Amino acid sequence: MTRRFGWIAVLIVCLISLVAAPALAQEKVKVTIFVGLGTGTDPDQIPKQEALAEKFNSTHDTIEIEFLIVPNTESRTRLQAMLTGDSAPQLVGPNGISTIAAFFESWEDITPYIEAENFDTSDFYETSLELNKYPTINTGLPLGLFPSFVLYNKDIFDAAGVDYPTSDYADTSWTLDDLKARAMLMSLDSAGNDATSPDFDAEDMVQWGYSDAWTDGRGSLTMFGAPDVGRPTTADYKTATANSEEWVYGLQWLSDGIWKDHFIPNNEQSASIEATGAAPFDSGLLGMFYTHTWYLGEGLNDVPFEWDVAPLPFNQKGQRIARIHADNFTIPKIAQHKQEAWEVMKWLTAPEQIVEVCLIYGCVPARESAAETFRAALQEKFPDMNMDVVFEAINYLDSPNHESWVPEWGRVGDAVGFAWSQIGTGENTDAKAVLDQTNTEIQQILDEYWASHSS
Amino acid sequence: MRFFNMRDWTLARREAAAGYMYVAPWVVGFLLLTVGPMLASLYFSFTDYDIVSSPRWIGIQNYTQLFQDPLFWKSLQVTLYFAILSLPSSLVTGFFLAVLLNQNVRGIRIWRTIYFLPSVLSGVAVTLVWITMFNPQVGVVNQILEILGFKGPSWLSDPDWALPALAIMALWGVGQNMIIYLAGLQSVPQDMYDAAKVDGANAWQSFRSITIPMMSPVLFYNLVLGLIGTFSYFTQVYIASSSVSGASRELGGPARSTLFYNLYLFQNAFRYGRMGYASAMAWILFIIVLILTALIFKSSSMWVYYEGELRSKSE
Repeated sequence: MTRRFGWIAVLIVCLISLVAAPALAQEKVKVTIFVGLGTGTDPDQIPKQEALAEKFNSTHDTIEIEFLIVPNTESRTRLQAMLTGDSAPQLVGPNGISTIAAFFESWEDITPYIEAENFDTSDFYETSLELNKYPTINTGLPLGLFPSFVLYNKDIFDAAGVDYPTSDYADTSWTLDDLKARAMLMSLDSAGNDATSPDFDAEDMVQWGYSDAWTDGRGSLTMFGAPDVGRPTTADYKTATANSEEWVYGLQWLSDGIWKDHFIPNNEQSASIEATGAAPFDSGLLGMFYTHTWYLGEGLNDVPFEWDVAPLPFNQKGQRIARIHADNFTIPKIAQHKQEAWEVMKWLTAPEQIVEVCLIYGCVPARESAAETFRAALQEKFPDMNMDVVFEAINYLDSPNHESWVPEWGRVGDAVGFAWSQIGTGENTDAKAVLDQTNTEIQQILDEYWASHSS
Repeated sequence: MRFFNMRDWTLARREAAAGYMYVAPWVVGFLLLTVGPMLASLYFSFTDYDIVSSPRWIGIQNYTQLFQDPLFWKSLQVTLYFAILSLPSSLVTGFFLAVLLNQNVRGIRIWRTIYFLPSVLSGVAVTLVWITMFNPQVGVVNQILEILGFKGPSWLSDPDWALPALAIMALWGVGQNMIIYLAGLQSVPQDMYDAAKVDGANAWQSFRSITIPMMSPVLFYNLVLGLIGTFSYFTQVYIASSSVSGASRELGGPARSTLFYNLYLFQNAFRYGRMGYASAMAWILFIIVLILTALIFKSSSMWVYYEGELRSKSE
């Protein structure tokens, strides 16, 4: 009898184990992190993100994370499909300001999560906190900032006999005109003539002095100091300001740089540079390349030349306006496990992880306490780079930001992009005419928007 | 209950029931996956719908706004221009290749396979290869032109040449047309050619008076499919304009020169979050294609020759 009970007990324990084991395993909530809208898809970054997931998963019993890496070109469509198809990821990121603007209605406000546990945000840079806050929503804890600077190829400077640009932010001789003069000397045709030479053949160029190819239309015009800086509308978003004096000046400067002074590659030449298979500056065909710190995570892999960084020059008004990008992770409103997503967001931006995460994505940590650790780690990776240039750029950020939300953000961005495209292809090189047309188009978009949102 | 007693059914009724059962999977699929979404999009076309919020009924506002939208007209213009460039060239090239590959020469099956093979390759992969081939400075197309003494254009980077480049790219899939023509050519009775030869017709006269009329139903079929294909052109131009990085990246670029109707529809739906507007565009497209197809059908009585019809009329 006892033996029979023993067998029955064993059987019951086995059955319970069989039934309960999967249930116990399922207790670990999976937080899928959607990566692809910004940085994070480069082959070098993928194993690092997997290692980060491994680190999290081995130290957490109730939550596991998984990075869903989606190619950048299809990421927007894919996320939209996931959001509409009820299969939203729990976290999305790293997101730039543009991504937040593009999916503005989709994000969960994290203010209640912060308030519920009185979460301390005092360690974050005030700037980075502000970049995530909108009148109706706080989109996420800041992860990092991507200040901008000019990468320069020392070998090309040396070969052209041109002095390196200054690293001193106070040096007012470093202007856009100065940049142009140096860049022209480094822009070469296949016979080795530079862009100042009467024998120079602009149809047969093999090297360019300067490029800002990895931005969009708004980004390329921000540095010229318009009253609305990087935003093509007034502060109330009701009037288009794309044909401001400063933007017209800036677009004409870029147009002349391509078609008259020949130190900036046109669209066709940019495509050829990219056809080398390397990131633009890594191609070794550019003397200077204006970019952000995310380039440190994506490019500069064993480049066969010496390089360093310089501040963005002063513009025609004597101002320095250096674009900035800021990244965070956001929780979709319709995510199933928002509380768990909040826990992961906190972990990713915690002082213990933020340097590691930022080294993957190339951002400057948004926590002040992490600055020195990050600086040391970055210096180890790039021992010859002038770190002061990178960090000081934060003080010259563009506000309103060139990626900031405006009504009908995508349409307005495309309208400015069309202006840039006309210049870049040579379809129309008259900046005033182009931006007048752009302004009319944006005004029409704004009028339509306010007509349907007036109530 | 009696209704379900199949033993009482007539043979015709049983056959009909079996027929309906066989087609049921397709009909159910068609109703759920095609008619359902079509009706949903018809409803959305009368709403302000951004995917995230609930649709809001706005009547015909999307349609009236469409006709005032310069980009709507631009996208129609681009699509029609592409149709004019691409449709005749793919029809003629396919027909020409089919005639060539209908000859009784050694290794003809290998040649047919070679010419058909490209059309089965993936659109995305092929487009990426073509983008590289069309690169103005390092692409093979311009290198060949240079050897021949011509300076090649900037192709996909040039607003004037981007559409012709896409039309050339579209010829890659001409093998599909070719194989249909080839099947048609092989069904033309040899005795017609023999009779023409007896009557003293030369090769050109036989081709003009026998081959072309006998192939006109196939030409008609390819024309209708080609027209629909042209208006639904999307993948290649999407890949071509989104594979560019940075400031040069512009869907429908350069300078909106490849802003196809479907691409603009896609932008509205998935980039701008204007699903209602995009649905209205889809219905306008449906109507345009319907009208053009109806016109082709209407005109077919003037140029399409059906041997069976002629026989039945003469009888």
